[in-house]
Amino acid sequence: MRFSQAKSNPLSQPQGATELQTDGGWKVVVLNDPVNLMSYVVLVFKKVFGFDESTARKHMLEVHERGRSIVWSGLREKAEAYAFTLQQWHLTAVLEPDEAH
Amino acid sequence: MKRIEVKLSIPVVSPLLDVIKQLAGDLGSMPAVPAALPAVDPELKEAWTAELLTSQQADVTVLLSLFGEDFFTDGVVYFDPGNAEPIARACSAVRLRVRERYLKPLGDEALEAGEVDLGKLPEPVRKAFMCYLFLATIQELIIQHLDESIIES
Repeated sequence: MRFSQAKSNPLSQPQGATELQTDGGWKVVVLNDPVNLMSYVVLVFKKVFGFDESTARKHMLEVHERGRSIVWSGLREKAEAYAFTLQQWHLTAVLEPDEAH
Repeated sequence: MKRIEVKLSIPVVSPLLDVIKQLAGDLGSMPAVPAALPAVDPELKEAWTAELLTSQQADVTVLLSLFGEDFFTDGVVYFDPGNAEPIARACSAVRLRVRERYLKPLGDEALEAGEVDLGKLPEPVRKAFMCYLFLATIQELIIQHLDESIIES
């Protein structure tokens, strides 16, 4: 998979039940940085995840005030695609195993 | 098609372009933010970084294309749905490099709050900080006027 394809449609890879059992869950966590503008972070969240304005602002404020926000969770391949897209937009994102799975 | 036309002061902006051009070289070889993939295999990491650098360089090229010969004739730059997205991203990448290269000693809290005394900065840092603010202004303009075209593209 080319990452740029993931950028345009990170959800394009169908996931089977077997993969669900073996892959486990991963969280995409965005970390605070002192550089990116709040309005820019809101724009990126709306663009990448399709959030509405209030959801995007909620996650942005969480990043700003708590230093991190979980913006997505699910299968690893999709999580990697989202992390790559966020990095293309120069937000700091990390993947963490989702203990709930 | 929505298009924003901004007239800038050539003598003010010219020195800031030197900072952008200098850091554009860095951005061809190093991602603006580090990748943080747990236990990733080296091939994936290499492909990830290569594609990231390609995209980063392409964005910075679009940003620099605003300031070609025409800019030095009339001082005007244009933003539209065709260049808004790469320019918004390039501004972010260059600002991150400016901070990394010049502004770290100022401290992140002061930087985030904008509490920086320009008069006390040595010349290269002052110029870099002006560039940092200039790029933020471009981003704000784009977000204010062209955010819908970016989200829908």
